[in-house]
Amino acid sequence: MKTISFVLNGKKTSIEVDDNETLLGALRERLGITSVKEGCGIGECGTCTVLVDDEPHYSCLTLASKANGRDIKTVEYLSSSGVLHPLQEAFIKSGAVQCGYCTPGMLLCAYSLLLKNADPDARDIKEAISGNLCRCTGYIQIEEAIKNAAEICKCDR
Amino acid sequence: MFIGQDITRVDALDKVLGTAAFAHDLKKNTMLFACVVRSSRPHAMIRKIDTSAALALDGVVKVLSHKDIPGENLFGAIKKDQPFLAEGRVRFKGEAILVVVGVTEEIARKASGLVDIEYEDLEYISDPFLSMRSPTLIQDGGNLLSHRKVIKGDAGKGFESSYVIVENTYSTTWIDHAYMETEAGIGYTDERGHIVVASSTQNIHYKMKEIARLLAIPPEQVRVVQATTGGGFGGKLDVTVEGYIALAVYHTKRPVVMRYTREESFLGQTKRHPLYIEYKTGAEKDGSLTAVEVNIIGDTGPYISYGETVCLRAAVHATGPYEVPNVLVNSRMFYTNNPVSGAMRGFGVPQLALAHESQLDEIAQRIGMDPLDIRMKNALKRGSLTATSQVLNHSAGLLETLKGIEPFWRARRKQGPGSGFGLGCMYYGIGNTGISNPSSCYLTFTPEGRVEMHSGVCDIGQGSDTVLLQILCDALGMEEMGIDLVRGDTDTSLDAGSTSASRQTYISGMAVCDAAQKMREYLEGQGYYSGKPLKDICREAAEKGLPVFNGHFDPPTTAPDPETSQGAPYATYAFATHMTEVHVDEVTGVCKAVKVHAAHDVGRAINVSNVKGQIYGGVAMGVGLALMEEFVPGKTESFDNYYLPTSMDMPEVEAIVVEDPEPTGPFGAKGVGEPALIPQAAAIVNAIKDATGVRMRRLPCDIERLKLALEKNKIE
Ligand code: FES
Ligand code: FES
Repeated sequence: MKTISFVLNGKKTSIEVDDNETLLGALRERLGITSVKEGCGIGECGTCTVLVDDEPHYSCLTLASKANGRDIKTVEYLSSSGVLHPLQEAFIKSGAVQCGYCTPGMLLCAYSLLLKNADPDARDIKEAISGNLCRCTGYIQIEEAIKNAAEICKCDR
Repeated sequence: MFIGQDITRVDALDKVLGTAAFAHDLKKNTMLFACVVRSSRPHAMIRKIDTSAALALDGVVKVLSHKDIPGENLFGAIKKDQPFLAEGRVRFKGEAILVVVGVTEEIARKASGLVDIEYEDLEYISDPFLSMRSPTLIQDGGNLLSHRKVIKGDAGKGFESSYVIVENTYSTTWIDHAYMETEAGIGYTDERGHIVVASSTQNIHYKMKEIARLLAIPPEQVRVVQATTGGGFGGKLDVTVEGYIALAVYHTKRPVVMRYTREESFLGQTKRHPLYIEYKTGAEKDGSLTAVEVNIIGDTGPYISYGETVCLRAAVHATGPYEVPNVLVNSRMFYTNNPVSGAMRGFGVPQLALAHESQLDEIAQRIGMDPLDIRMKNALKRGSLTATSQVLNHSAGLLETLKGIEPFWRARRKQGPGSGFGLGCMYYGIGNTGISNPSSCYLTFTPEGRVEMHSGVCDIGQGSDTVLLQILCDALGMEEMGIDLVRGDTDTSLDAGSTSASRQTYISGMAVCDAAQKMREYLEGQGYYSGKPLKDICREAAEKGLPVFNGHFDPPTTAPDPETSQGAPYATYAFATHMTEVHVDEVTGVCKAVKVHAAHDVGRAINVSNVKGQIYGGVAMGVGLALMEEFVPGKTESFDNYYLPTSMDMPEVEAIVVEDPEPTGPFGAKGVGEPALIPQAAAIVNAIKDATGVRMRRLPCDIERLKLALEKNKIE
């Protein structure tokens, strides 16, 4: 066991973790952040995506201890100001949510993309979510939602 | 008006916030974790089970076997034939033998690895052709599960008078549902002493009854709740974790949670049936179909699940959506020691679409006809007779879907070598085949003056909750969505049947309309429509007890004739045409679906965004079916060797919604969930032929298979 400290969705957090514990396990079991989903446990599906210093990572493959000193974001961050993020609005409006199991991971990948690239084209969007599987939507409405949200974010600037 | 509007899905907000409680997220204080010990052999007698090491592990609470089942150790959606826990014999690799309950997941899983099982192997019946000849019986009644025939006219005579005959065989493989959320649930005993199970499921009332039989308690003492469900596609129709959870709760008297790993989900759950299809098609010089003869042989695994359903549905859909005067279909399902094949989006029809659509293209080629023209010529339309001689009296918009595609088809231009275009058509009977499959619901008010809809329909992500609310609002003539939805709980709803067979919009939608009609009459009498506020009506009514209005609908069908399957097995059919452009790299064998035009006659689109979502998702699954997905028994255990389409594999899709209203449906609606997938693989295969000259008759056409076929073609 060791104590790690990191910023979780903007708040300083310290927890005790086992040496071999995954970040996925620590977030879900110790911190009750169940928006981070397990779909495969071996880095193949992306439902467990979190942002580590704003870059998407599979939390099932990330050791919790690696979060020490880092900035960790889960989907809760997007609405932490009390209003929905344009991406969340756009996901709802564009029909990008079916079963919703992939949704938090998709939103985080999209958020990370828009931080780096305010004006992504279709290809950029496809690539940004290519490590995240969705069995329901065929990705099309997710991609539309990201495109629409990018437009709105641009106007907000 | 709510019908036809893109009303925001009622479940979307919680899902984008990350607060939706999926089955994987459910917790209770003092809960235990259970997991299943599974057979490592495909077919064996169990000689000895040693659980002492597992029981000795600190934190292990119970190890349960079939002997601990107080009721009947058999389940099954159609017939009760599959043991919850194996008794002395296992019939597929992954079959459940024991349930290990521990204080943590880690302990339970570790203990399950410590169980020592001694097997004596039996002959592994690895395919249906071996099964039909082998003296080894998988089930006592023999290895043939089901044989269904469709006989219309005289196929022999039809071929005699044919100008052209095309005969080929096709085959498909196991497909995993691969919902992103694996099977999971939680159970506990409530203050009344009832067993409660909340799980990821497509049918709560069915599971309630199965748990009651397992535990030998009255169904009224079982409550099943649908947790937010991360996809279903047919795989969460059978009992998955629910029975084991209930059994563990029964014995430990503590809350018990269960979550399948991805590996377990691959190993333990049902698959799409691999079908072997011999197909003979005859036509006249002008392209009119004269006769079709089909021989279907399916691998159903060792237990029935939905094997009989798929056997029959594949048979009655075998001709595709065309008028064929002479039809002979033999559809047979054999037991094997492969995984149990069950329900998966389309129930055998996507497999048949591969065959009938390939055949039609070959006929067209032989007589020099355009693939679109031959489809138009033979398309079922209003007044047509189907293969079961059902007269299509109502909604039958196949021609309209073909016309929707026509401008794109006529304007198609190949983009250099490796570029090709293909068509696929389908029809699909909405609801179960030739049997009663009713749905019920009820409506009431809250004392505060809101309408309350009690629905047993499981929304598995396709959006039925929203669609049913839209139907109810319009049926009541409401201007705002002033409805509270009480859903997915056997304690508070009536049986709506399964979320399967694309039936919920049509059948449960009609049940909602039925209840709404009664509520409307009541509201009329109370002066609601002449301006009296609902609040006042409810306040007054609350004194006497708020009224309840039941709704019910069972689609009118007739049972198929046992010898010929003639009859009207479905009350209505959906129709669709897909056109797909592919690009094949002839050196590497990589096929990419580039663009899809998908036209669907849905009767009436209650929610256009939802309909499109189904079409896009169906296309994705069709791309997987055609090009990459293959479960290999004994090998596949993760997404490492089971490939799902990613965003990079998806074609551009243009959805074309055709509305030929169905008078027996809610506001004219039919269904779209399965139709969206059915013609897609066929369209891809036809496009590959157009692009390369190579006809692929076996799915998936993955890189290796396609490359090999292209090389062979070059040599020939
Ligand atoms: S759970 Fe981490 S990638 Fe699938
Ligand atoms: S919405 Fe179901 S997996 Fe993406």
